[in-house]
Amino acid sequence: MNAARTLHWLLLLPSLLLLALLLGLPLAAMLARSLEPNVLLSFTGPALDNYAYLLSRAYYLQVIWRTLRLAAETMLIAIPLGYAAAMLLQGLSGRAGNLAIMGLTFPILAGPLTVVLGWMALLADGGPFLGPLVEAGLIARPRLLGSEAGVVISLVQFVLPFAVLTLYTGLRQIQPPMHEAARSLGAGALSRFWHVTLPLSLPSVLSAGIITFSLAASSFISPHYLGGAGQLTLTTLVSQFIMATFNAELAAAAAGLLLLLMLGSVVALTAAIGRFIRP
Amino acid sequence: MRGSIRALGRLAGGLYLLLLYLFVMGPLLFVIATSFNPATSFPSRFEGFTLSWYAAILERPEFLAATGTSALVAALAAALAVLVAFLAAYALSRQGGAGGRGAMATLLASPLLVPQVVVSLAILQLASSFGIGTGFWGLVAAHAVYVMPFALRLILTGFARFDFAVEEASRSLGGGPLATWREVTLPLLRPSLVAGFTFCFILSFVNLPLSLFLTGPETATLPIVMFAYIESRIDPMIAAVASLIVLAAATATLLLDRFLRVRLVD
Repeated sequence: MNAARTLHWLLLLPSLLLLALLLGLPLAAMLARSLEPNVLLSFTGPALDNYAYLLSRAYYLQVIWRTLRLAAETMLIAIPLGYAAAMLLQGLSGRAGNLAIMGLTFPILAGPLTVVLGWMALLADGGPFLGPLVEAGLIARPRLLGSEAGVVISLVQFVLPFAVLTLYTGLRQIQPPMHEAARSLGAGALSRFWHVTLPLSLPSVLSAGIITFSLAASSFISPHYLGGAGQLTLTTLVSQFIMATFNAELAAAAAGLLLLLMLGSVVALTAAIGRFIRP
Repeated sequence: MRGSIRALGRLAGGLYLLLLYLFVMGPLLFVIATSFNPATSFPSRFEGFTLSWYAAILERPEFLAATGTSALVAALAAALAVLVAFLAAYALSRQGGAGGRGAMATLLASPLLVPQVVVSLAILQLASSFGIGTGFWGLVAAHAVYVMPFALRLILTGFARFDFAVEEASRSLGGGPLATWREVTLPLLRPSLVAGFTFCFILSFVNLPLSLFLTGPETATLPIVMFAYIESRIDPMIAAVASLIVLAAATATLLLDRFLRVRLVD
């Protein structure tokens, strides 16, 4: 018995070491760095002055608020869209169902850089969708590139496959007998959805919410290319601190804030939706 | 009456799925179409068909060198990830549902919740606190820790269909522990191991943010070179590079589906 337990931990050791050495230790070094003085702020470290600085300037508060807002908007749009798709995909079976699911992983594997390249063209004022509409005088120049709307459109597209895959798995685990029971008791389609399917699927809605919010809050490529300098988020702010103003300590503090805000959002989301999940 | 309402509902559902897939795939399809357009600006009207943008890639040695770097980083990161994920999945699956298996699986999936830009910054700052550069291995480290949870997920799915009784059988027939692993366990799990490696390789190969602060002139990955190129100009040549990546990803996706029957969703 003891030998089995030793073997168990020996087998887990490499992955735990990988996590500790390549994630835990680097994050600790980064957080330590975020407490140190720098070219902009002089104080005797370790202290929280970098965080206080970021949280006291209207400009950086705007960046923080924009990061959270983009992530929340993306989540709130992607979850209903993904839920409807996941419900409809339950109806497909066999080859068609497999292909549909496989198709969803395809943009994930092609990579966000490739996809955002497409959005840069599609959202441009002279692009294939908006160009003809503008020329025909149907719409004013929409200027989606460099706007928050453009970033949200591409973020929704980026997180949608993750949302559908998560919700699809969750919905499949709801037992058909539950629906049969509700039907035999005379419940209509809407009532079955409201009283049976939706409550039972809430755990996967929560998972999908956490995944879509986290992916959107931590995305770099969409805000960088589609938002630009006028639409900085915490990730693009970090890269600006490193590449443009060479301030490693403020970059570390901005990254620390992002981690903290994401953790807080996950806790808040779990509390908000968790209240409705029956044990 | 009832039948026609149902048919109408099915039609609306099909239309919805079609639009959703068009939205999800649209940008990729447009990039592929653009790579064949002779017009020199991007985006622009379609003026014909050409393969010259693909030929233009061959005249840019930095793209070829970066493809080699990306492939090497991806292969090493995927191999490391699959190795440690296999050992962890073995331990977690043999243990069954008891004793904190869920908590351990959640802990091992934690890299997914850390923004990739932050992983890149953290590894840079750990190296600089020791006064060293990150170099090639810093790049491999960032990619390995990020793709490991994907390998774990796929291999755990493989273990769900694995019966540990076959190991007992092998041992009772006189097979040692190592022989049992080599002859019984690994062959049975090969599909999920190959799928895990392929999936991790692609995720690493196409990733930009993990490499953001960790590359130098000698270690630039393909997405980093594309990133630098797009900063200065956008032309259909970059769409041709992107299309080749899409083609490679599509081929790998289909191969996984066809030959290994591995699913992300069980």
